[in-house]
Amino acid sequence: MSAVLDVREIRMTFRNGDELTEVLKGIDLALEPGELAALLGASGSGKSTLLSIVGLLLRPTTGTITIAGQRVEGFSDTESALFRNQRLGFIFQFHHLLPDFTATENVAFPAAAPAGGITPSMRQRARELLARVGLSDRMDFPARRLSGGQKQRVAIARALMNKPDLVLADEPTGSLDRIAAEQVLDLMREVNREDGATFLICTHDEHVAARCTRRITLQDGHVEGNAQAESISK
Amino acid sequence: MFALSVARRYLFSNPSQTALLIAGVALGVTAFVFITALIQGLAIRLTDDVTANSAHVSLEPLTRVARVLPSPDADVESVAVVSTFQRRQIRAWASTVELLRSQSSVLAISPQISGSAFLVKGEAVAPVAVTAIDPSGLDAISPISTELVSGDANLGADGILIGVRLAENLGLSAGQPVLFRTDRGIDRLLTVRGVFQTGLQSLDERVAYLSIQTARPLFRLPEGVTNIEIKLIDPNSAREFAAFLHEATGLRATSWQEKNASLEGALTAQAQTGTLIQLFSLISVLIGIASALSLSANRRRGEIGIMRAFGVSRRFIAAVFVWQGLLIGMVGAGIGCLSGFALCAWLASLTKPDGTMALPIAPAEGGYVAVFLLTTLGAVLASVIPARSAARLDPLEAIQQ
Repeated sequence: MSAVLDVREIRMTFRNGDELTEVLKGIDLALEPGELAALLGASGSGKSTLLSIVGLLLRPTTGTITIAGQRVEGFSDTESALFRNQRLGFIFQFHHLLPDFTATENVAFPAAAPAGGITPSMRQRARELLARVGLSDRMDFPARRLSGGQKQRVAIARALMNKPDLVLADEPTGSLDRIAAEQVLDLMREVNREDGATFLICTHDEHVAARCTRRITLQDGHVEGNAQAESISK
Repeated sequence: MFALSVARRYLFSNPSQTALLIAGVALGVTAFVFITALIQGLAIRLTDDVTANSAHVSLEPLTRVARVLPSPDADVESVAVVSTFQRRQIRAWASTVELLRSQSSVLAISPQISGSAFLVKGEAVAPVAVTAIDPSGLDAISPISTELVSGDANLGADGILIGVRLAENLGLSAGQPVLFRTDRGIDRLLTVRGVFQTGLQSLDERVAYLSIQTARPLFRLPEGVTNIEIKLIDPNSAREFAAFLHEATGLRATSWQEKNASLEGALTAQAQTGTLIQLFSLISVLIGIASALSLSANRRRGEIGIMRAFGVSRRFIAAVFVWQGLLIGMVGAGIGCLSGFALCAWLASLTKPDGTMALPIAPAEGGYVAVFLLTTLGAVLASVIPARSAARLDPLEAIQQ
């Protein structure tokens, strides 16, 4: 089975005036379809930078990135945006829903914007996804009226709208209380298990990492550890 | 059109802010309409005041000047001398009148004999500018018959109409005889048929009207006329029409604007001042739109960042803000035009005790189409800056904030 994500020799150097800081120092990484991987590391280890590079939000200094069989590191801004829209899903710590739109409209947005509007089939899929994340009774609620946990569930549904090859999550439970965080984690695991969606979850929370099928640990810009989890805690 | 739908949703999401923004635009447009209607109203009133009692175009013979004649003998120069005693006249005036009658832009035509004379009453003598006209066209250029304060407008064969100031100076009243002495030294006793009062001192003190048939022997003009006065449907077209008449007849054609160059200068200066005020009101409206949309773009950085992250194009983001500008501009301009018209119509209905308008405002001349288009276009341009800044937002930076 070919890897969904294949990252080779990724280096990232930031310039701050005359000072150069190398944040990623040659990262090699691969994810198989259906994996639920945790990207761990202390603050400043480079995990968020790596996630941004994989999400085509940041261009690496050197190295190659292959997602779903397509080399993407040389993409233009427009090509990157199109690829992100069609092949990647994003879940951020702060959901950044559109507060003036309903939950259904928020979920449908990634498909609707390039198409010029929400078609009935998009609405139907958005509603199915909301039902999938347990928000059947909140579909027509404006996003501003949802709780934090509900908003993050809408964000998960939105990330899945365009059936992405890879879902990238950056501290998805970071802004939630413990109960809501558990629910969101359960949901991601469920979607991963039942829909076969591949997740790369950036976190510093061991509790989150413990629920994943793979642990990738970064330290000082290197991959310190990369292994299948022996047992998945509930 | 999804960008339009998003733009509309953004505007409705904060109704009080949107209402304030639209009110600001509407207020600016109302000011624009008011200034335009006032300046146009002033110009119309001033133009009316000047053109109501005078011709819009005057046709006269070309001025004759003495000129050097070519001579085969280079040492001798001949000069054609012009007689100053011979009165200049338009002999073929009937064909010129025919030409004028065929023009749809002409409202009235008055062939005249104009000259200088004296009115003598006892020992009192007063110079008068004589206007001799066809009695049936007495009011063609100046509404004289309606301005009579005594007597009537029936000129007959020996009648004369004089202004109220002239009548006072000479101690004359309707029905009294007066000695008329032309600049050719011809005397004739005429009867004052009526006394008029136009309110214009130059007319009331200096002008006398008589029948063209009465004037012919007095000014020794058995056939021709000295000038043809013309009124047009649109006084503003006088300059172009005068040029046309000069070309068509070879006569000297003078528009009312040429005769009143200082008024035209004043109207131009007034219009320029108005344009400046209009420009400033428009600029303040556009700055308001640009700053409000910039604030909105800043407030929605997170949303814009996430949209960019999941692949929404820069063009889409920019379109959302341009649509907002367009909607604000259109709605604000529409409301501003309506409120501006209502304000001007109300001001136009206010009258002074004498029944005249309190403000010389022309509600129909508010420049509505221009201000609507300018504001809408300006609003779109004003939204380009926040639209570009929103579209250029780095998604990563926006999300992390």
